[in-house]
Amino acid sequence: MSARILALAALAAALAAGCAKDTTRYGDARGVETVTNTFGSTDLQMMAESMARSMQQAPVIISANLPIVTVQEVKNKTSEYIDTRAITDSIRSELQKGGKVRFAVDQAGMQQQTEELKRQQSELYAKDSAAEMGRMVGAQYRLEGNIVSIVKEVKNVKDVYYKLNLQLWNVRNGLLEWSDEKEIRKTTTRG
Amino acid sequence: MKMKWLVTAAALAALAGCATKKGFEQPGFAFGCPIGDARVSSMDDLVKAKTVVEGRRSTVVANEMRCTKAGDLIKVDTNLNNDSKSVKRMAYKFRWIDQQGMRAWEEESWKPVLLYDNSNLVISGISPTNKAVDFRLILRSDE
Repeated sequence: MSARILALAALAAALAAGCAKDTTRYGDARGVETVTNTFGSTDLQMMAESMARSMQQAPVIISANLPIVTVQEVKNKTSEYIDTRAITDSIRSELQKGGKVRFAVDQAGMQQQTEELKRQQSELYAKDSAAEMGRMVGAQYRLEGNIVSIVKEVKNVKDVYYKLNLQLWNVRNGLLEWSDEKEIRKTTTRG
Repeated sequence: MKMKWLVTAAALAALAGCATKKGFEQPGFAFGCPIGDARVSSMDDLVKAKTVVEGRRSTVVANEMRCTKAGDLIKVDTNLNNDSKSVKRMAYKFRWIDQQGMRAWEEESWKPVLLYDNSNLVISGISPTNKAVDFRLILRSDE
């Protein structure tokens, strides 16, 4: 008898699951996202926008004629996985569009750059149009930083605090030319 | 001699009176903010001209706005006032406009902010490009 009831219950559950309808809709990519309190799209966008706008006001950027910057790693010192490359890519895009900074190839893109140079030096390419060796331009400034988080959790409350710190270093003399921080706090309450 | 002092004091008072009204503005600007041909004679007029409230109405209002130049970029400071006894959550973004009245930049992301009860919060914005010559502050309740 109980086996029969169990079988019926299992069948009912399977039917209910089958009937549950998934709905997919497009959303606002720039809307406020609060699905969970882990690092999200709104955090990424706010950090990138705030940092890029702040850097554009730095005296070294205003006074220099299109300074050349290379982007180094933003170290993830949080307890969760964050693609920090996405943060620096967004900052780079915003600055590039703003037209105040030029970017030199960074460490991550160096291998592809040298491979392409070598490829163009091969016999397959016309010598007069091929990119020459020894013409790459070095960066005057390097952009680096780190992101940290402090997570506090009690029974029904989880509080997450993120802080992104970016620094712009002068490659020639080692001086720190600009630095700024962006802080974000998110709190989730259950129930 | 006493008369000379009185005249000087009167001149200073007159100057101060002029300065508190709108400052020494360039034509087409009010409180440092670009206004084009719009008639702006007070802070309220400026805030009304530059602020757009979307979505649900809230007790949070922009009540002061000032602009300045950061290099060739526009920097905007806006005071938001929460005149209620509860904490309010808002989101804001700036819309940057070019010389032709078109968007000078893609739509910014919404930035959530929290305002404590009966309090003020200053939000700042900087234009992303020198092509931006005007702006609108978009406010939205995030409750």
